[in-house]
Amino acid sequence: MSIRDLTSMAEAQGLQRKEINERLKKLQNDVSDYCFQCAKCTSGCEAHKLLELEPHKIVALLKKGLIDELVNADIIWTCMSCLKCFERCPQNVAPVEILYALKNLAVANGKQIPGQYTAILQSVLSLGLIQDIQTMTTKENITIKRDDLGLPPLSKPVDSATFQTAIMKLALEKI
Amino acid sequence: MTHRIGVFICHCGINIAQNVDVEALTEYASHLDGVIVSKNYKYMCSDAGANVIKDAIKEHKLDRVVIASCSPRMHEHTFRDVVRDGGVNPYCLEIANIREQCSWAHTDKEQATEKAKALVRSAVAKAKLMEPLSTSTIPVIPEALVIGGGIAGIQASLDLANDGFKVYLVEREPTIGGRMAQLDKTFPTLDCASCILTPKMMEAANHANIELFTYADIAKIEGSIGNYTVQIKKKPRYVDIKKCTGCGDCAQACRLKGRVSNEFDLGLGKRGAAYLAFPQAVPLKYTIDSKHCLFLTRGKCGDTPACKEACLQQAINFDQKEEIITKKVGAIIVATGYDLLDPSAIYEYGYATSADVITSLEMERLISSSGPTKGEILRPSDQKKPKSITFILCVGSRDETQCTWCCRIGCMSALKHVYLLREKLGEDVEINVCYTDIRSYGKGYEEFYRKVRGLKTNMFRGRPSEVRNISGQLTLDIFDTMTSKLFEVTTDLVVLVPAIVPRFDATAFARILHLTQSGDGFLLEAHPKLRPMDTFVNGMFIAGCCQGPKDIQDTVSQASGAASRAAIILSKKELEIDPLIASVDEEICTGCGICIEVCPYDARSLNEKTRVALVNDALCAGCGGCIAACPSNASVHKNFTKKQILNMVDETL
Repeated sequence: MSIRDLTSMAEAQGLQRKEINERLKKLQNDVSDYCFQCAKCTSGCEAHKLLELEPHKIVALLKKGLIDELVNADIIWTCMSCLKCFERCPQNVAPVEILYALKNLAVANGKQIPGQYTAILQSVLSLGLIQDIQTMTTKENITIKRDDLGLPPLSKPVDSATFQTAIMKLALEKI
Repeated sequence: MTHRIGVFICHCGINIAQNVDVEALTEYASHLDGVIVSKNYKYMCSDAGANVIKDAIKEHKLDRVVIASCSPRMHEHTFRDVVRDGGVNPYCLEIANIREQCSWAHTDKEQATEKAKALVRSAVAKAKLMEPLSTSTIPVIPEALVIGGGIAGIQASLDLANDGFKVYLVEREPTIGGRMAQLDKTFPTLDCASCILTPKMMEAANHANIELFTYADIAKIEGSIGNYTVQIKKKPRYVDIKKCTGCGDCAQACRLKGRVSNEFDLGLGKRGAAYLAFPQAVPLKYTIDSKHCLFLTRGKCGDTPACKEACLQQAINFDQKEEIITKKVGAIIVATGYDLLDPSAIYEYGYATSADVITSLEMERLISSSGPTKGEILRPSDQKKPKSITFILCVGSRDETQCTWCCRIGCMSALKHVYLLREKLGEDVEINVCYTDIRSYGKGYEEFYRKVRGLKTNMFRGRPSEVRNISGQLTLDIFDTMTSKLFEVTTDLVVLVPAIVPRFDATAFARILHLTQSGDGFLLEAHPKLRPMDTFVNGMFIAGCCQGPKDIQDTVSQASGAASRAAIILSKKELEIDPLIASVDEEICTGCGICIEVCPYDARSLNEKTRVALVNDALCAGCGGCIAACPSNASVHKNFTKKQILNMVDETL
């Protein structure tokens, strides 16, 4: 099984797209209408300073119904899912949820998933983990290995074929 | 006995007529059993409509009237007067609501007409069983209770006292003055708060008609409109206020002097256990804080308590006990004010962790010349002059996770602070304001906002996500939606403008008074537009921020309004009581006492001799609780008897 299966997304698009569209529409009507553009989300956005993500603008565009523009924009992939906007929004708008839905819709539309995302999925498929952390560096700049700390080696999926099938199924369902 | 019933159907212009076939309904009603005459008219509530009813009563010798019109909440009073003028007992009137519950609610005219027929049919069925009732009267006690000695309570007390009524003004703190006394200046005119408030405080204290109870709580309220019994609990202040001259020797002598946090300065200043809240306090009497006083907490303060030794008047009295005073009043005005939201609820702004993150009220005390810094702007952490001050508005306000409402004074109070800080600190200080929207809606407010815009203020339109405190240096990132840029603001002092919330004990207090609260916790007015000072308890009125956030202007207007509403009651010698209340069938009553338990108005009691439950007509509000609870059907609601209601149900089905 390879990553490319996910990004090509040949079959079952119609149904998924409908579902995601409905989710977006729900977010648009139930959530984004209440945003009063205080931009508290953008003030604290971890992806704003370097990557210029403006969550409040995403919400405003969604409110105006410009979904296609958003889906085709690369900026939606810069969200780091830190959930600060979710925690601190005074109107319970949670731009992060809107960004999730937009990303899902982009994939359902056949847009290419950016490399960092696929790398994470690759790591999950092979290791069952987002990152394979074998070493760490302390405050004193000393590098320590897992073994040095007496930690057991990282476990790997026992039946990797079944595991990968299960993860892919989950990934597709989530979209 | 057969009754002679008249049915009168109102078109209400087209409100009813467009969805109900009024002619068909009139024709239908005329054939109902007991109905002598059935008429319709375009506006039954008009003078001409009233004459239609009165003439028909005379012509057909009617003794029961059914009117099919709008809700009884709208015009029951009007029509009661009409039928009484016509010569029929006003309680032999039944209203069928064919507007709110029929024509407005449905679109199919045919079906709506059928429903209107059913409603009229059931009203006629009830009319057959209705009894003539007469109103009784109760004497009114021409005295008032005002709870809360802030600007609202003071204004209401003064108005009533000047109207000639005796007023008992009860204040929880040792001094009257409330929140306004904590303010330095008031927007938009920049009047000195003390200069305009202190004369009113003095006037209230010295007024022949006002009796002041400071450092006192309301323990209990019983009774109803015109005749309330109030228990006032006077807390011991351990100072005989008749002897105390306010010289302050006790506070000077107190061994805890400068060691107790002063709540009037919101903890920014210190006081002793013997203290005066602020120099202009009214009454100008010292208080000994029983929570801190060494003698009261440990039983020992040196050989003799220092304050006692210092007081030449021998006013200190540690034997003072709590005292309950009972007063009877005809009306009550509640003006208990507000609290500020504790901004640590919005944890990301760091109020709990940074000394230099303060609230707007704390800033008010820093600016005030009678405040802890004597009006010098010094930051709390190091007592240095700040070079940069940043305001964050809407902290917890307009926030679905905290307070959904607007505090209505935050914008203006922050703008006022900007003005006063520029005045005090000149151009040396950088002032930043992070706002969501500036709401300058009052008279002269927008002009004030313009003035402040000219004062070199950095206005950022947006909310910061967090205030960082890195080794005492405060920074915040603010995305300004006007420039679409993210700015980093490094600042010395952050002023949070927190939401206005109901008093911390508002729920418990509302229960003592039998008052209702709105969803936000503030006390609920009887009608948001037309009865903003009335409550659902007759004879009780609300004024100021206990009803909802408002500025001083609105508070004073509302207080005068509430006083005027109360005076309407107090100026009457006696009041008519609506007879639609509970009564008891003495033959059936077993004296079980369940009605006494369920009554929320303390209107039910037991005659111990006859073992029959009684109803106090003056207290009963006609809620029907005891009627539903009575296991033997002995409690009945006048003109809402089970027989009458079942008859209506039978006819409707």
